[in-house]
Amino acid sequence: MSRIYSTDQTLIDRLSLNDTEAFEELYRRYWNSLYLYCLKKLLTSEDAKIIVRTIFINIWETRHSLPVSFSLSKHLYEEVRKTVVQCLSQKLSDATNESYIEKRLLAEFSVQSLLAARKPVTKKYTVINKPSELIRQQAGQTGTEHYSTLTTVKWMFQSLTDKLSLTNILSYPKN
Amino acid sequence: MKAQILHSKLERYVNGKSMPAETRQIQAWLSCTSTDAQLSPEQRSLLELEILQEIQAYTAYPLFFPKKEKPWWQKIAALF
Repeated sequence: MSRIYSTDQTLIDRLSLNDTEAFEELYRRYWNSLYLYCLKKLLTSEDAKIIVRTIFINIWETRHSLPVSFSLSKHLYEEVRKTVVQCLSQKLSDATNESYIEKRLLAEFSVQSLLAARKPVTKKYTVINKPSELIRQQAGQTGTEHYSTLTTVKWMFQSLTDKLSLTNILSYPKN
Repeated sequence: MKAQILHSKLERYVNGKSMPAETRQIQAWLSCTSTDAQLSPEQRSLLELEILQEIQAYTAYPLFFPKKEKPWWQKIAALF
């Protein structure tokens, strides 16, 4: 792997010139996310590996005919979705995958679960009325001693004045 | 939903003949990535190498386009 970061477009340009290092760099960049996505959808490592392999083999084989404004991330996104659906269709036609279909797949395709998946993620916000309470809570969680903001500011001001007075004494002209 | 109905829906989607509602349903399922599974670093590096070797075996690109030998100064620089 190269230490110098190259953009996808640069690597694709190099790929069209049969640069195998560029291809391997692109593979290292994207294989993991593709694999995890396939694994989540299909539940078998073997299928996920086959899909990742097929996608990258296609990229290598079509490297000379890639369009100028080729977006690799978009291409991978489209390809992985298409291949997952194709694989799923094959699984459904195969009678050996009944348990997977019954337990997981049909439940995931139910209207309720799809609606639940479409809901936006809500973040939990806590309203802080008294910042000192939050500091006290955090101090309690971390096991550190709690100082109020006022005490901290006083202490900082004191140390600052001490330092200033010390520098004043040191730099005071001896006339 | 029965497996047979889902199968016919997926078949139509793959062939580009599905209804808009079916397309939306399948795309909603495809877009649902709620839980994140992660691989351990050892598993990850093993799998990475395994899949890459399969790709290399299929395409045979190391045979046709062997890696160029790096100059000695680049080898030394890579050590640091």
